[in-house]
Amino acid sequence: MFADQFINAIGTGVMLGSIYAALALGLAVTFGLLHIPNIAHPAFVIAGAYVVAMGNSYGLDPLLVALLALAPFYVAGLGFYEFYARVFERRGSADTMNALTLFFGVSLVLETLLLMRFGTNQQSVSVGYVGQSLTIGLLSLPYRLLVPALLAPVMVAALWLYLRHTHTGIAVRAVAHDERALSVSGIDPRWIKRHAFGIAAATAVVAGAALIIIGPVDPFGGRLQIGRAFAVVVLAGMGSIPGTIAAGILIGVSEALVSAFASPSWAPAVAFSILLATLALRPQGLFGARR
Amino acid sequence: MNRLVIENLNAGYGSVAVLHDVCMEVRESEFVALLGTNGNGKSTLLNTILGFVRPQGGRILLDWDGQTIDLARLQPHEIVNAGVALVPEGRRLVPNLTVEENLILAGSCPRAKDQISRNLDFCYTTFPLLKERRAQQASTMSGGQQQLLAIARALMTSPRIMLIDEPSVGLAPIVVGQVFEAVRELQTTQKLTILMAEQSFFQAVDLASRAYVLSHGHIIRAIDRAVEQIDPEDLRAAMMGLEHS
Repeated sequence: MFADQFINAIGTGVMLGSIYAALALGLAVTFGLLHIPNIAHPAFVIAGAYVVAMGNSYGLDPLLVALLALAPFYVAGLGFYEFYARVFERRGSADTMNALTLFFGVSLVLETLLLMRFGTNQQSVSVGYVGQSLTIGLLSLPYRLLVPALLAPVMVAALWLYLRHTHTGIAVRAVAHDERALSVSGIDPRWIKRHAFGIAAATAVVAGAALIIIGPVDPFGGRLQIGRAFAVVVLAGMGSIPGTIAAGILIGVSEALVSAFASPSWAPAVAFSILLATLALRPQGLFGARR
Repeated sequence: MNRLVIENLNAGYGSVAVLHDVCMEVRESEFVALLGTNGNGKSTLLNTILGFVRPQGGRILLDWDGQTIDLARLQPHEIVNAGVALVPEGRRLVPNLTVEENLILAGSCPRAKDQISRNLDFCYTTFPLLKERRAQQASTMSGGQQQLLAIARALMTSPRIMLIDEPSVGLAPIVVGQVFEAVRELQTTQKLTILMAEQSFFQAVDLASRAYVLSHGHIIRAIDRAVEQIDPEDLRAAMMGLEHS
């Protein structure tokens, strides 16, 4: 039945898209706001998923584990930025290529560590609601997608309010534009960047919880998400935090429609087709400011 | 006595020396002008005081309230928090932030954050235009308005000394007059301590009680208006490097 298929493709697409936004949110901070292309972010997300699986094996709820792991992930993010800053920024050799190389290496190391510790077996969580669905008329929303999909709007709203309305939030929005303007304002630009990197890493554990509630995760699961996460950030417009939700959902719905009515094998091409088409018409992305 | 003292300062970029044996001081509540044409080291001197350029020799000391702080050991943001504010050349506002966000950013520095609402009120009273435009993006304002915002931003850090780098650059003469008037007003009503680098020297000298002339990185003149008349022709010749002392 066409209507049935169409409505459910849209429903699935919106939920998947919201989850894509959760995955990309940390990158929207490091790449969109700080202009550091942290290609290791999806690997952070996988590491987060593993932490959630470990906690769940002790009977804890995945979302509770993610909440508890926010602070440790924040601290780990501080460490990664400090490493990056010591290797490149302080020597004045921080550029896109160096950052990409460094964080590519970081993601390989993370994958290998997970592989050594947990093996190639997939990890998963067991929660009561997986397997059940919420049915509204023709629309059927499985909880294993619906619950993770609700995390993104919460995280995006919290982060957006933080960046708008706190002193540190204003400094984070300012730092990529002009570090010297921050120094002149009596604020340490390195501290602000480190803090922003920590926040980005903290979002990874929540995104990891989302990912592992949807389905099992293996150490290399992040690789599939790298391209899509960058596509979401650029499509949203560099530095636009609310835009990640719209961009994620646009990609998610398109992928779901293509999967339902053409072939699932075309779906991965969708994100980049939309990205290229949008950039041709609006180089600043959907919600980005013109520069 | 509260003052900023610079002793035998040498500074430059890599192997290029720009400042040679610069000695000067700025006392509390003074308005001191730093004169010189382009390329003689005025901006380098201010940027060295603020820590953006590292001194290669000499000392920069802030003697204040019985404490002596060696600024040469500090990072730029620490120097601002010690009470030295800079209105930088080219203004260096954050273009994507609003007027108010630019002010709040500076007002939230450790030194001034307890007085942030008082400082913001003071800036809005002093520059009513900024209050009108508080929600406007900084990048969409005119050059003169941005210059006033840059001065207000420096005030938000509760400075002991304010360094102003060439406020007239890129502004129409009538706007330059307005900016100088604002600076003069601040200095006379608030007894603000100011060191201002400027090349349009007649206006600057008019405001200042003392002046230093910088030529090829050397201080070639120190003028105290309390004890001597200024001969404009003599000053112009000195600034143009037509004579060497």
